[in-house]
Amino acid sequence: MKRAKEWIAGYLLILPIIAIIGTFIIYPIVASVYYSFTNYNPLRQMEYKNTFNLQDQLEQYLLVFNMKDLNTRYLLSQFDPVDFIQTQLGIKIDTSQKSTIEKYFDSKKLIDDFVTMKTNERINGTELFSRYMTKDKNMFAGYIPAWVGFQNFSHMINDNLFWTTLWNSVFFAIVVTPIQTFLALILAVAVNQKIKGIKFFKLSFYIPSVTSSAAISMLFMLLYSKPGLINRILGFIGIPPINWLSNTSTALPAVMAMNIWTTAGYFMIVFFAGLQNIPRDLIEASELDGAIGWTRFWKIIMPLMRPQISYVVTLGLIGTLQVFDQIYFLIQNQQNYTTAMYIYVNAFNYNQMGYASAIAVFFLAFIMILTLIQRRFVKEENYF
Amino acid sequence: MRKWQLARKISYIILIVYAIVSLTPFIWALLVSIAPMNYLLNGKSTGVNIMQWPPEINIFKLPPEVFGAPSTLSNYDQVFTVTPYARWILNTVIYAGFVTIGNLFFDAMAGYAFAKLKFPGKDIIFTILLGTLMVPFPVTIIPVYNLLVNFNLVNTYAGLIFPKIASVTGLFLMRQFYMSVPDELDEAAKVDGAGIFRRFWQIDSPVALPAFATLAIYTFMGMWNDFFWPLIVTSNKNMFTLAMGLNYFRTSYYTFWQLMMAASLLMTIPMIVIFLSFQRYFVETDISSAVKG
Repeated sequence: MKRAKEWIAGYLLILPIIAIIGTFIIYPIVASVYYSFTNYNPLRQMEYKNTFNLQDQLEQYLLVFNMKDLNTRYLLSQFDPVDFIQTQLGIKIDTSQKSTIEKYFDSKKLIDDFVTMKTNERINGTELFSRYMTKDKNMFAGYIPAWVGFQNFSHMINDNLFWTTLWNSVFFAIVVTPIQTFLALILAVAVNQKIKGIKFFKLSFYIPSVTSSAAISMLFMLLYSKPGLINRILGFIGIPPINWLSNTSTALPAVMAMNIWTTAGYFMIVFFAGLQNIPRDLIEASELDGAIGWTRFWKIIMPLMRPQISYVVTLGLIGTLQVFDQIYFLIQNQQNYTTAMYIYVNAFNYNQMGYASAIAVFFLAFIMILTLIQRRFVKEENYF
Repeated sequence: MRKWQLARKISYIILIVYAIVSLTPFIWALLVSIAPMNYLLNGKSTGVNIMQWPPEINIFKLPPEVFGAPSTLSNYDQVFTVTPYARWILNTVIYAGFVTIGNLFFDAMAGYAFAKLKFPGKDIIFTILLGTLMVPFPVTIIPVYNLLVNFNLVNTYAGLIFPKIASVTGLFLMRQFYMSVPDELDEAAKVDGAGIFRRFWQIDSPVALPAFATLAIYTFMGMWNDFFWPLIVTSNKNMFTLAMGLNYFRTSYYTFWQLMMAASLLMTIPMIVIFLSFQRYFVETDISSAVKG
């Protein structure tokens, strides 16, 4: 009895998060796999969702300017449901749907309603069909994308741009993660040297990571521009000005440098907290043994910081493989897109959600395999 | 001992150099944001060169000069008049605020259940939930967007807020804290006849207040700065959040640098204030708990 109560309470307490994660992460993964085998086009879906005033549409289609003394029979002779739906309402239909409409569309009812002004309201395509089809109403309940088998995946394999974006993502992660980790560690060790003004240093290192990546991108757009500050500074050592962001060979490294700048301060705080936990006597004992400077750093501090290092590396890899905002704002050339950005443009700019889903599914599998490999080789502390 | 001194000297150099690197973009943005859009020189209108070096600052004049021109705060004013900036602030506060409140409740509830209660399937559910942390957001975004379209949630607050009101990261954080609350406390309350929900709400949660504060701060800041989700959900200017709105100052023909920098700094200031006021929650709490695991 008591135990049953505890079970019920447990399930009730976790219900909300299960519902949210289930709806917005687990269901979408399953749906993505399904979409990846279809030619999903969001514009087609919108055709069924867009609302229109049926009366206005019919007036325009039938060229009626005056609602008085209408001849129903004449109007009916002028009305072709397939043509009306395709040209006036802009809903694309295939041949089987066409014949169904020709057979079962109740034009008479529609024209009667039109003449008696019953159609004067905003409805969408789905509602139109459910009202005026005598049979097969559900055929138009919504847009059902066509099954295309492995077409999206074979397209993906032959898509050079896709492989470029995947390489960009990997390149981004394997360059940025070690550098930001190492830089953060150096900064943490430096801050830990009984320094004056710790508060100031911590604040100034932390500000970049509490700033929105959108705002940071704006700041760096200014700095990276051709007459901008970075080119001025490089000018002092004789480097000619470069248009960092529109040059395909410098754009990604420029964003990577910015990413390191953003995250190093945050990770510095992680390491600093870890360093504070190292017992003082341990450091002092090592000093007596003559372990100072680099030796101490590599032999004493690094091993003790292993949990923090693997935490930072894991977070860094997750963050860099998914980098999107900064790419969205700063990258101008498709050649420099990351996979996350490529999925986005395919889905939302090119309206190829089927293809975008195929890339997304591949990307998920890719990341899962990387994670498994990492787990295998780095048998480390489990944070999760 | 001399080497020890040397280490400190090197440390100072590293820290000062990196502090300069860290702050320069913000200082430059500040200078640009107070530079006039245009100013009159001998009766003729001249643009300010915001890229010039040195930035020709003269603080001994009134008003102080930047880029050789009198500084002004009018850009900050302009941001509010050329864009619905006040509305964006409101949207961002609503978005970040409600998401934070939702997370405080739902993450804490689930965190408590996973830390203190026993029920069948607990471990496997927890493992699955943690596994979802590995899923990159572009993978889920297409079906999620279609869900929003089907439920007419695009360009609504509900669409912005609802999918975010619980998070696995938050759940994990709360679970760690409830686990650190001694079981004896729970047992004692049980003996006194306190039910599960009372123990959760009145006995264990007050002890975990620092965790609630950490969760609230991190969630609020994350949502305040979030760009990707508002990009997907909003297309109507009046529904933009601050991060989303920044794009508004950049057209394909011209970038309004002064306004863009003013808007960028405006949205950063509250975050710095939050960081300064709640510093202790940033450092010790979440990280040490996350790492100990």
